[in-house]
Amino acid sequence: MSTDGTSTNGLYSLHGVEKFFQRGPTTVRALDGVDLEIGAGEFVALEGPSGSGKTTLLQLLGALDRPSGGEVLFEGRDLAKLGDRELAELRLRSFGFIFQQFNLIPTLTALENVEAKLAPIGDDREQARKLLEEVGLGHRADHLPAHMSGGEQQRVAIARALSVEPRVVLADEPTGNLDSATGGEIIELLSSLAAEHGSTVIVATHDATLAARAPRRLAVRDGRLLAAAAV
Amino acid sequence: MFYLRYLRNELVRRRARTIVTMLGLGVGVALVIVLSSLSNGLDSAQSKTLDPLADIGTDLTVTLQPQQQSTGGFGAGGGFAGGGANRDLIQANQSVVTDLSKLGKPGTHFVHDFFLPGTQLTFPQTQAQQIAQLDGVAQVTTGLTLLADHQEGVVPKIVAKLKTGGQTFSITRNIARPTAAQFQAMQACFDKLRQQSGGSSSGGSGSGGSGSTGGGLSSGSGGSGGFGGGGGGGGFAGVGRGAFAKCLPASLRRLRTRFTTPQQTITQALNPPQTNITSTAYTIGGVDQAHPTMGVVTTAQVTKGRFLSPAGGTEALVSTAYAAKHSLKVGSKLVLNGTSFTVVGLVSPPLGGQSADVYLPLKQLQTLANQKGLANVVLVRADSSKDVGAVKAAIEAKFPQAQVASSKDVADTISGSLVSASNLSHDLGLALSVVAAVAAFLLAALLAFSSVGKRVRELGTLKALGWTQRLVVRQIAGESLAQGLLGGVFGIVLGVAVALLIDQFGPTLTAHSTTGGDLLGLGARTARTATQTVSLNAPVGVAVLAIGFGLAVLGGLIAGTAGALRAARLRPADALRQME
Repeated sequence: MSTDGTSTNGLYSLHGVEKFFQRGPTTVRALDGVDLEIGAGEFVALEGPSGSGKTTLLQLLGALDRPSGGEVLFEGRDLAKLGDRELAELRLRSFGFIFQQFNLIPTLTALENVEAKLAPIGDDREQARKLLEEVGLGHRADHLPAHMSGGEQQRVAIARALSVEPRVVLADEPTGNLDSATGGEIIELLSSLAAEHGSTVIVATHDATLAARAPRRLAVRDGRLLAAAAV
Repeated sequence: MFYLRYLRNELVRRRARTIVTMLGLGVGVALVIVLSSLSNGLDSAQSKTLDPLADIGTDLTVTLQPQQQSTGGFGAGGGFAGGGANRDLIQANQSVVTDLSKLGKPGTHFVHDFFLPGTQLTFPQTQAQQIAQLDGVAQVTTGLTLLADHQEGVVPKIVAKLKTGGQTFSITRNIARPTAAQFQAMQACFDKLRQQSGGSSSGGSGSGGSGSTGGGLSSGSGGSGGFGGGGGGGGFAGVGRGAFAKCLPASLRRLRTRFTTPQQTITQALNPPQTNITSTAYTIGGVDQAHPTMGVVTTAQVTKGRFLSPAGGTEALVSTAYAAKHSLKVGSKLVLNGTSFTVVGLVSPPLGGQSADVYLPLKQLQTLANQKGLANVVLVRADSSKDVGAVKAAIEAKFPQAQVASSKDVADTISGSLVSASNLSHDLGLALSVVAAVAAFLLAALLAFSSVGKRVRELGTLKALGWTQRLVVRQIAGESLAQGLLGGVFGIVLGVAVALLIDQFGPTLTAHSTTGGDLLGLGARTARTATQTVSLNAPVGVAVLAIGFGLAVLGGLIAGTAGALRAARLRPADALRQME
């Protein structure tokens, strides 16, 4: 069931995507036949409660996992058929991840956490510093994550995600660990920076007010996409 | 370089983990280093001590030992009955029986050294030449090792008081009867006396007396009846007592007889006199000073001073232990039975060989001990080590009574803590080293694994960032390698420190060897024990350090890589999922 309405130049194209997990004797159907088109430069919200399958969908989109069935085409390439090295290369250059738990490396400073993304391409401290300044943390560059607030940590994560000018930024509950005011700031920052860097943004969230900020809203329930919630 | 900064940050900012891993690996490495160094130290101490004959440039020693008689009953008696060598031995060893009178006049101070052959019988030195002519024998030299008894004191005076006389003897003797002639002379004398007195006595009695007298005389030849009978007495009644005595023949007037008192032996136990004689036992060896590299003691064993001069004057070598006990130094004088010897060197005698406390030139000792031309040990060097067995057999065939000992035989007689410790280190040292190494390995692996296990989310994040598996594994393995290096360095420092401590304060191990033994009840006199003390040290070899260090690095690397591979194999989605 396609909910695609506004796709332009077909960045993503998903057909009949399924994902099963074996949990002991029972098989969990995390995704149960998803068809989806996403165009470049879109800001998409995947909305749904915990366990609905939105995180799984986000991971498939981010080449963190392979589908059990169906195909996930990214710029025309089927991610299910790519090898580990090619997937790693895609994650490195084309995707930027933002997590609910921020997932900063605890032993690295803010600046070094951004560098961790740049390192495999070629260490670029200046690029990292520039990104930190863009998220307003130039003065916190040498601080460890443990010494920063949740909002600051998530800003570091945004800087990290955007440092390689990715095609897509994938955010999984980016405000889940933040108070609503900070959450709002983070979403603002994310959308404005993504626009600046020309990145597509896909956000998974269970927060309806947050989802309401997105130009395109997709509701996920029990591993399926519901009818378009787009404005 | 970002990766290196990352690595350093991991080590520095997870300090507790780094230190625990470093300590664990370090202790393991140190254990391996200390144990194997200790084992090395014991081995070298043992090979030095337990190859005693090599020290004296000898392959075989030949001695003549009395054959032990296996007769039952009284040991010594059986020994004597068996005769031969045993009797010789006992006699030789009894020469020490102290004849105090030979030491000087009572009250004079004396110093004397007695020399006994111990259990090793002496034989003419010329016999050694027969050994020298055997095939495969390169060189032969003789030695004389004797037990010496140094006695010093004052010759005691022994005074015994015996009281005799004061005995009373009772003697009964029959006097010889007068002969007929004497009797007649007496008769005539009495008659004469009677006439002179003129019948002063009563007539009646006079005639009666006369008759009786006449009767007595007439029956004189019958020989019966007492001369002094009542009738006779009556006959002399008229004669004065003084005059009567004059009539007796000389033999009746004086009794002359010979008397021998009964033979009598007076036995009195005399308490031994108190003396201040002190006796000290030591061993003395005669060295063929013409062969300074081979003999009872060799130049190799001189620790201070020099070896005996080839001329063989009145010089002596003293074992370090004996020197310390009697405060002797190089240059000290040693007086033996009136001859003054100069101590020219201190030696540490080999274990198990013919060790002695004092060494003199062979000729000097032979003279002192009255053993001219005699020796009791022949030292034999074979042409090559292959010939030792054949030479031993040849000597045994030629001299059935000879005891031929090879280096190994001698080593077998050595006992003591060194030997036990060395055996222990052989059996246990390797096992302990392996256990320590395995423990260190396991600890490193465990820490690396648990560290990786706790960082699955971090590693998943790195993969989400686009790090390849190779890159993640390289980073984690680098951390493990660095920890291995740190642990290895720490282990080397700790291990060397402990080894140095052992060298400094380490226990001393001893090795004993006893020659002779409780033979024929001579026991303690003939048993000769040499003790060598070896300070335990732990020489740390470069190889040991390298092995210990390599173990730490390798252990850390393997464990870290295995852990990292396990984590990196996870699909990033699974790795990230583990965080929730």
